[in-house]
Amino acid sequence: MTREEVFATLNEVFQDVFDDESITVNEETTADDIEDWDSLEHINLIAAVEQEFGMKFTMGQVVTMKNVGEMADIIMSQIED
Amino acid sequence: MPANFTSFYFLCFYAIVLFIYYIIPRKMQWIFLLFASAAFYLFTGNGILILYPVAASLIAYVSLRLMAGTEDVKKRRLALLLSVIFLIGALVVLKYINFGINTVNGIASLLGKAENMIAPFHFLVPLGISFYTFSILGYIVDVYNKIAEPQKNFFKLALYGMYFPSILSGPILRYREDGEQFFAPHPFDYRQVTFGMQRMVWGFFKVLVISERMNLIVNTVYDNYAQYPGAYIWIATVCYAFQLYTNFSGSMDIALGISQTFGIYLPENFETPFFSKNISEYWRRWHITLGVWMKEYVFYPLLRTAAFTNLGKKLRKKFGKKRGKQLTTFLAMFILWFTVGIWHEGDWKFVIGSGLLHWFYIVSGELLTPFFQKIMEKLGINSKSRWLDALRVLRTFFLVNIGFVFFRAASATDAWNMLKSAVSIWNPQILVDGSLFMLGLDVIEAVIALVSLLILWIISRLQQKGPVRERIEKRKLPVRFLIWYALLFYIILLGYYGPEYSAAEFIYQGF
Repeated sequence: MTREEVFATLNEVFQDVFDDESITVNEETTADDIEDWDSLEHINLIAAVEQEFGMKFTMGQVVTMKNVGEMADIIMSQIED
Repeated sequence: MPANFTSFYFLCFYAIVLFIYYIIPRKMQWIFLLFASAAFYLFTGNGILILYPVAASLIAYVSLRLMAGTEDVKKRRLALLLSVIFLIGALVVLKYINFGINTVNGIASLLGKAENMIAPFHFLVPLGISFYTFSILGYIVDVYNKIAEPQKNFFKLALYGMYFPSILSGPILRYREDGEQFFAPHPFDYRQVTFGMQRMVWGFFKVLVISERMNLIVNTVYDNYAQYPGAYIWIATVCYAFQLYTNFSGSMDIALGISQTFGIYLPENFETPFFSKNISEYWRRWHITLGVWMKEYVFYPLLRTAAFTNLGKKLRKKFGKKRGKQLTTFLAMFILWFTVGIWHEGDWKFVIGSGLLHWFYIVSGELLTPFFQKIMEKLGINSKSRWLDALRVLRTFFLVNIGFVFFRAASATDAWNMLKSAVSIWNPQILVDGSLFMLGLDVIEAVIALVSLLILWIISRLQQKGPVRERIEKRKLPVRFLIWYALLFYIILLGYYGPEYSAAEFIYQGF
C-alpha cells in the first residue's frame, strides 16, 4: 500500500466516523482541525482505523500520536511487516 | 506548621528554600528540592506518614528497574502489576474501605438489620495520597507502554513523587512531559521568578479575598439548611461554586507560581471552566490533569479491553452501528465517571456530585443534541448565535451547581433534601429584603466580595485572550508597579487570614 492509498483509505474512515463527507485529512491534520474529534471520538476513530487496516495501535501510540501523518507512519510500518 | 500555602510559616519556609535554591551549585538544586519537600511533608504534621509517599516511590522504583531490564512482555506486566497492586491497594485500604463498610451498613439499616453493622476503621491518611499515587502510577504505565524512560535514580523518582508545590493538591504530574525539568540546572532568571511570584499573588487574591468570604455564606446555609430554605440554597450554592473554584484554582496558581520561581513548569489545572458551553467542555477546563489522567489510564484502556471490544461488536449487531457504538461508550463512561467521583473520596455525595451526575448530563447531551438541532433548524434559529452561547454557558453553570450541592452538603441525603427545599420553597423576597446580609457578610463585606468577583471576571476574560502577566509586563514601570502593589495591598487589607480565620483550608487537600 502506498502512502497515498493509506491517506485515501483514512479519508474514508474519517468521513465515516465523523459522519461528514467533506473531511479530507493530510499529514498535518490534528484533532484541532476536526470539530468532533474529541477524546471520546479519538478512541472510536482508532478502533475504526484498526479494523479497516487490520492492524493494532499500542496504548502508547494511542495517547502520543500528534497528527494524521504519525498515524499513517504507524499504519505503514505495521502493514509492511 | 499548618499544611497551608497561605500561612505565614509556609511563606517563611518558602522564602528560605528559594534563597538557598539559587545560591547552591546548580547540580545540587534537585537534591535540595527533595530535602525541602521531605521537610515540608514532615512539617505539615504528617510525621511518620511520610513513609507512605516514600514507600510508593520505592515500589515504583522497583517496578521501573524490573521493566528496564527486560523486553519480555510477561515480566514487564508483572512489574506493572506490582505497582498497581501496592499503590491502588494502599489507596483502597486507606480511602475506600470505609466507603464499602458504610454502604453495607446503610443497606443493613434499610433492611432493618442494624444489629449486623460493621464498625468502620480509623486510618490516618497521608496528605495528598490521591495526587502522588496518580502521578507515580501514570509514569509507571507510560514506561510499560514505552512512551517514557525509566528513571535510574531512586532519589530523582522520589522528588517527582514528593515535590512539595504539587504534593498536597496537585496538579497531577506527567513524567513524560514534566519529569526531566526537575533535575535540570536552573540559573536564576529574574523574569521567571517575578512571574512566578505574581502568579502566587493572584492565587492569594482568589483564596484569601474571595474564597474565604464565600465560605462564610456557604457555611451558614449549608450547616443549617433547615433554617435557610428555598432561595437561600440557590444563593449559597452559587457562592460555593465560586468558593470551590477560587480555592482550588487559587491554590493551583500558588503551586504553579512557586514552582515557576524554581524554573519548573507544572501543568495547568484550570482554564476558566465557568465559561464552558457544555459539560464535556467543562471537564476539559476544570481539574484538567485529573481528566487527562482518567482518559489515558482508565477510559482508553477500558474501551480497548477484549471484554469491551466484544461487547461493542455485539451491541453494534443488535442496535446498529451508531447506537451500538454509543451504548458501548456510555457504559465505559459510567465506569469512568464512577471512578472520577470516588477518586475524591469514598462517599456517595462525591460519587454522585462529581461523578455519576456528570455522566448523566453527558449521556443526555449526546442523546438530545440531534433532537434540539432539528428543532432549531425548523424554527430557523442560528445555533451559533452569541445569545445562544451565553445561554449555554448559563445552563452549564446551573448543571454543575447541582453537582456542587452534593459536593458540599454533609451527605448525599442532605444534598437531596436541600435540592427539594430549593425547588419547593418560594421565598424570592429574601433577595431584596436585606436577609442576605445576615448570612455572614454585611453590606460592606458583600460589596467587597462582589467587586472582587468582578475583578476575577475581568481578568478571566482577559486570560482567554492571552497571558495577562505578559500584557502587564509591556506597560510602563509606574503602571506595572501600581497594578501589582494595588493587588498586594488589596489582599493584605481585605484578605481573610491570621489565626482567627484559619479557615483558609484548601478543599482539595483532603483528597
